[in-house]
Amino acid sequence: MQPAIDVRLLGVRYNLRLTRRNTVRDSFKNMARRRTGPSHFWALRDVSFRVPPGESLAVIGPNGAGKSTLLQVLAGILQPDEGAIEVNGRISSLLTLGAGFDPELSGRDNILLAGAFMGIDHGDMVARMPGVIEFANLGQFIDAPIKTYSSGMNARLGFSIATAVEPDVLLLDEVLGTGDATFRAKSQARVVELMKAARAIVLVTHDMSWAREFCNHAVLLERGNVVAAGEPDDVVRIHEERSELRQRSITPEELQPIVDAGLEPVAGGPGRGSRGR
Amino acid sequence: MSQTSEAIREAYRPRRPGILQTLIETAREVASRRRLIVYLVRADLKKRGADTLLGNLWWILDPLLTMLVYVVLIAIIFQTKREAYPLFVFCAILPWKWFSSSIADAVTCITTRERIIKQVNFPKVVLPMAAAAGGVASFAFGLIPLFAMLIFLYGSHLTAWVLVLPLIALVQFVFTLGVTLLASAVTVFYRDVGNVATHFLRIWFYLSPALYGADQIAALTAKRPEIATIYNLNPFAALFESYRDIIYYGQAPEWGALGLVLGESVVLLVIAVLVFRRLEPAFAKVI
Repeated sequence: MQPAIDVRLLGVRYNLRLTRRNTVRDSFKNMARRRTGPSHFWALRDVSFRVPPGESLAVIGPNGAGKSTLLQVLAGILQPDEGAIEVNGRISSLLTLGAGFDPELSGRDNILLAGAFMGIDHGDMVARMPGVIEFANLGQFIDAPIKTYSSGMNARLGFSIATAVEPDVLLLDEVLGTGDATFRAKSQARVVELMKAARAIVLVTHDMSWAREFCNHAVLLERGNVVAAGEPDDVVRIHEERSELRQRSITPEELQPIVDAGLEPVAGGPGRGSRGR
Repeated sequence: MSQTSEAIREAYRPRRPGILQTLIETAREVASRRRLIVYLVRADLKKRGADTLLGNLWWILDPLLTMLVYVVLIAIIFQTKREAYPLFVFCAILPWKWFSSSIADAVTCITTRERIIKQVNFPKVVLPMAAAAGGVASFAFGLIPLFAMLIFLYGSHLTAWVLVLPLIALVQFVFTLGVTLLASAVTVFYRDVGNVATHFLRIWFYLSPALYGADQIAALTAKRPEIATIYNLNPFAALFESYRDIIYYGQAPEWGALGLVLGESVVLLVIAVLVFRRLEPAFAKVI
């Protein structure tokens, strides 16, 4: 069966020189001075995994391991510098809330604008509008410019928009703690509902109970590499042991990256990164 | 890391699409996201109209007030001999407002959308396209005072040649779009493009036959034809003169000069699309 997500030897590189300099003057300075330090940094390298339809993958790891970068690549926001990824089906990403918000526009206009950014058909978005408004529970504020909203109202609207469409592939990045207790419970229920409906899920989380409860597979990312993969219970245990060592300021022994596990020979394999839609 | 992994890595290395493929893909993306462009333009118009006492009336007042400034300066203080100077200068102010407001939007359109670029995957090319299209809106509103002037004040200048206006505007649109795409992409990497642009635009305006006519430049450069050639490299030399031909002089534009600008603009647009697409993957990383 065709996997919902197929990631092979994914590498994402940040050019440190490019991100560091922002004015013409700085780049002249860089040219004049001898360059020191590495010119680029691999946020992810040699990452391979597959998510079959109906499965859910938890991505765990310490801060700066590349978890969010991985989600950005899966969502198509970043392009791979190496390797190939394939995502089959409509993707929805709950990366950070409040996407597409234009403070001068009303809540209603923002819903349409966000839908257009996400590539959702206009008629579809208009049809879903009442549901989004109701879920966000904004009352008459929906016609006010969102610069007048409180941060909680903003987050509620963002969550409602992002979850308005049932995706085939759901990408989640630690967005479960939003708003007040009532909304948090409501949003968690919605996420669970989406997870049940989705064909595949990738969940980035620091909450190990979510990984254990909702995922049937897990990978541990460290410094851009997959260092453990398998049953959530096992992977979480490895991660927790290593985190504990770090908390006691002991650097845990470095794990060997799992490079091409599960890869078939690539004779005549695909040459370029493809993205199914 | 074993040797096999190097070999596999090579096999999976992403390839860049060819030039033609890039152009086709871009056209397809724009077509599929045309509604997003409409929303962005509409949002922009709404924002500019809101919070002001006169609201959308500013679209009409703005070019008129600019015209007033130059009329006071050139017609009253410098005592120009030119007949119907307000109409003469308005023919240049109107297209220039379009161009300069598009560029001003272009240098901020990507950097101000930082959050959405990092959260949602969409073709970034819609942002500068919306900036260019937003300028068209300001141009369209400006046509109202233009025709009011033509009908009520300068009826003798009004001819059927005015109907060619959409054609000249189309040439300007292609040129503006090319510059907008380039400016928006480069600003991501060099934030000072925005500061430079303001001054660059001002010099460009004064070097173009906006406040004065191309005939004056021709008289000045009569003995040095090469300077006239350099002067006419500026697309706005031909564009302003074409607008003026059909509105102020009531005659055919110089088709050859206009065709040349169109040709140059198409080449510029193709280069701009290729540069933009080449830089696009880095936007989410850099901003």
